[in-house]
Amino acid sequence: MRPFTYTGAKTTAEALKAANANSNSHYLGGGTNLLDLMKEDVERPNELIEVANLEHKQVIRNEKGGLTLGGMLNNSETANHRDVRTWYPLLSMAMLSAATAQIRNMATNGGNLLQRTRCPYFFEVSMPCNKREPGSGCGALTGMNALHAIFGWNDKCIAVHPSDMAVALAAIGATIEARQTDGSSRMIEIAEFHRLPGDTPEKDTNLEAGELITAIHLPRPDFSTHYYYLKIRERASYAFAIISVAAGLQVTDGKIIKAGLAMGGVAHKPWKLTSAENYLSGKTPNQANFEAAARLAMKEAKPLEDNKYKVKMGEKAIIRALTQAYQRKA
Amino acid sequence: MKTINASGVGEAIDRVDGRLKVMGMAKYASEFPVENLVYAQGVNSTIAKGRIKSIDTSEAKKQKGVLEVITHLNAQKLKAYDKVRPSYTLTTIAPILQSAEVNYYGQFVACVVAETFEQAQYACRLVKVTYEEDKPDIHLNKNKGKAYKPDEAADYLRGDIDAGMRDAEVKLEETYTTPIEHQHPMELHAAIISWNDGKVKMYANQQILHEATIAVADTFMIPKDNVEIIAPYIGGGFGSKLRINKHIILGTMASKMLGRPVKITVTRQQMFTNTGMRQFDEQVMKIGAKKDGTLTALAHYTTSHCAIDVQYYETCGNVSKMLYNTPNNEITHRLIPLNLQCPDSMRAPGEATGSFALECAMDEMAWKLKMDPIDFRIKNDTQTDLGAGKPFSSRLLKECLRIGADKFGWKNRAKQPGTKQEDNWLIGYGVSAASRNAPYKKTSSKVIIELNDGKVHATIQMDATDLGTGSYTIIAQTTSDYLNIPVAQVTVELGDSKFPLTPGSGGSWGAASYCNAARVACQNAITGLKNKKNISLDQDISVSDLLKQNNLNKFEAEGTAEPSEEFKKHSVFSFGANFAEVWVDKDTGMYRIKRMVNVGSAGKIVNPKTAYGQIIGGLTMGAGMVLAEQSKIEPNFGNFITRSLADYHVPVNLDMANIEVIFLPEEDKIANDMGIKGIGELGITSVAASIANAIFNATGKRMRDLPITPEKLIEAKVEKGVA
Repeated sequence: MRPFTYTGAKTTAEALKAANANSNSHYLGGGTNLLDLMKEDVERPNELIEVANLEHKQVIRNEKGGLTLGGMLNNSETANHRDVRTWYPLLSMAMLSAATAQIRNMATNGGNLLQRTRCPYFFEVSMPCNKREPGSGCGALTGMNALHAIFGWNDKCIAVHPSDMAVALAAIGATIEARQTDGSSRMIEIAEFHRLPGDTPEKDTNLEAGELITAIHLPRPDFSTHYYYLKIRERASYAFAIISVAAGLQVTDGKIIKAGLAMGGVAHKPWKLTSAENYLSGKTPNQANFEAAARLAMKEAKPLEDNKYKVKMGEKAIIRALTQAYQRKA
Repeated sequence: MKTINASGVGEAIDRVDGRLKVMGMAKYASEFPVENLVYAQGVNSTIAKGRIKSIDTSEAKKQKGVLEVITHLNAQKLKAYDKVRPSYTLTTIAPILQSAEVNYYGQFVACVVAETFEQAQYACRLVKVTYEEDKPDIHLNKNKGKAYKPDEAADYLRGDIDAGMRDAEVKLEETYTTPIEHQHPMELHAAIISWNDGKVKMYANQQILHEATIAVADTFMIPKDNVEIIAPYIGGGFGSKLRINKHIILGTMASKMLGRPVKITVTRQQMFTNTGMRQFDEQVMKIGAKKDGTLTALAHYTTSHCAIDVQYYETCGNVSKMLYNTPNNEITHRLIPLNLQCPDSMRAPGEATGSFALECAMDEMAWKLKMDPIDFRIKNDTQTDLGAGKPFSSRLLKECLRIGADKFGWKNRAKQPGTKQEDNWLIGYGVSAASRNAPYKKTSSKVIIELNDGKVHATIQMDATDLGTGSYTIIAQTTSDYLNIPVAQVTVELGDSKFPLTPGSGGSWGAASYCNAARVACQNAITGLKNKKNISLDQDISVSDLLKQNNLNKFEAEGTAEPSEEFKKHSVFSFGANFAEVWVDKDTGMYRIKRMVNVGSAGKIVNPKTAYGQIIGGLTMGAGMVLAEQSKIEPNFGNFITRSLADYHVPVNLDMANIEVIFLPEEDKIANDMGIKGIGELGITSVAASIANAIFNATGKRMRDLPITPEKLIEAKVEKGVA
């Protein structure tokens, strides 16, 4: 690992100041992804500013009737918090499907959103990767891309975002609060938080330099009864999703009032299935409608050489997640 | 005379080294305190084929603490291979940094030596290598024209395979493929090596010490006795620690050049490129049978790969020589040199993969014959090893299958695939037969019996190793049994190449060889003590009384056990049967292994607890072969894109089923005096087939390419003929 200095920030202001003073610094939350990337020489900060011990570790009921999750709270405590389990079981289920208990104990909520792709071309410095080294090319595009994107990619980058939590947040419609280096706060909708690769695949999110995630705001809970997080993977734990679906339904009098649907493992960001959500709104929750919604959702899929299976798997996964969500009795 | 101890052979006692291990007091190779230590780290090539044009070490050398950067330009001269592609055996030399040639991605091209581990690792990144790159051969299919027969033992023919196929009323020909896998023991490869006046002493996690000393001595062209290896504890090996890997040579060279002891460690990423792997195998199975299920022909053709400069192959076809009664039998193995590191042994090399092909093909044939797969196997059972032309010393395969079927509830299996369903799950049952030869090798040990304050204590020594499998414990149990003293009064000392010679740990020969050597040493001690006082050998007298009568406080005896003439006249194997229940999601490609039953006949079980551990380890690795284990090679660059345990997926606890393990009581005195047979590799054998066969029973899909991932399962088609 390259030599670096460590700054243990005692306050948010101190952390922001340190980040502002050094453009080659990096915030350190749980370190479950960053430290791996530093050992691999992929991330090369010369200073780590530890923020895991700052305030922002609460789960608070907010004025909009939702919950606010601290950015520095770890994933285990968040997923197992009584209010999260009761009102946002979809989020809890997604978070608990991620990584391992040990990693969830370390990983922070802010860090989870900022984790980087597990594309193997990104991890191996001897191979080309536009995300790691802009302009070097995309090795995966002409190489092995079975686990890569089917939505929103371009020839600069076909990587997928690995987070389970972010997929559930996309289905729920969360808002991210970030503190800027001047101390002010701004709100970013989850849909606007992560980016598609565009011309700058090296940028995963729309956060600006030195910005620090302090909270995740959840809206009023709509999906606390009918929800499911389906994660398809090679082993039952400690594996990223090949495809995942977060599904939430609000059902009244036999009609779907609102649907929340997002997919993981298919795009550079959590992939919100807006057309399927809109289709389901006002419809009867039944197999035929779930199938129609799934077909609609997958219509825009553009598979690569090795991941054509994802189109079929994605469709089946959406139907299954919706069915499970509807059948679930809270 | 079995009176005072209840912890001898056959008892499920706790590991005698368990407490040391859980307290962190068992010392592993990299943990020995050595003065004046420096740290070495290897630098890996980033091309798969070509030659080094230049190496700029100036930046690395400038760093604080960096003492030396060894490259092919300043490396010690080592012995070279004396022919093209010699076989990679336990004593094969391991030359490295001898030229500018690069034969595979990740080959060591330099070695940094520094005062600290961190300094060495950082400086490795600063060694700048430029290459003249050639297009590597990394695709088996594109290089089929280069396939060659590696040696005479690669091929075998009994009868006439074409005639056997002509006689057949039902025929099958299918291809099965298994990927490159890596052994990945928990303990990374590591060594602390001191070169002193042409003598080498190393703490190194080697499974087999004596042969390793020869390999090191030969590589450096020094006398064989000049190398000592100490390895009291090893955190798993699964075959990867059988041979001398190149980092051992780098470390030895660094110590010689710097005149200081060197600690060299291999990172998890380097465990993909520098410490061995299981080869990719393409196996073509050809089976012919009469309508009543009588086999008329069985052929097993394997194509695989080896390194550019050295060859190894796992003998996938050997299982097809001996498992079933067929007059016509053909086995071939072919190798294609590729720009990959040399494959080597990984748990049950040959059997793990070969049994996948054979036992899936047998299941497919049973389906074609409309026979129950157990009945089909039993129909073709044999008490003679037709491949070796010898009777089996014992073979309880039929019993394993029948008893297993009963325990598993085989009768509840759906006759028609895809017809047993619960909610979204399709439920399937699968079976497979397992066999693994039970080698037994010449082995020596020494016992030192001491009397202190009237209490006897025995210390037993041999150059055996314990990979975590339980060698310490079963040797202690044997010593306790044959000296008739409690286990608590026995100390076992292993893992020093200066101790009496054993074949080491590997190939499932450890338990039988070690225990019998301990037995002979103990018997020799008692006989020696009795003879000194002219006490009848039949007289029942304790060791402590024998020492007292001899007026001795200490007595030593050595003993060597070796295979008998009867052993050589027989074929000695362990047998087993695997049963699996698998639930396959009808839509998404996901599946779960719900239950496994393993029945084994493996001679005398010295310790049911450690034996059980061996079997569940084997079952887990077998499940891993099916679920996810594979090392993927990047087609354009030739490197492994699976680089850590986060993306090389081994099963987690949640993946593992309810497991029932049954050992059949078996007395096989032909195997050896104690009747012990190996189980280390039996446990993995044919597990993958039982799961793949269960997936067929659940879905009607034949999955012939491991691992069976969700992406493959969702795309697979139901077999023709399945309703």
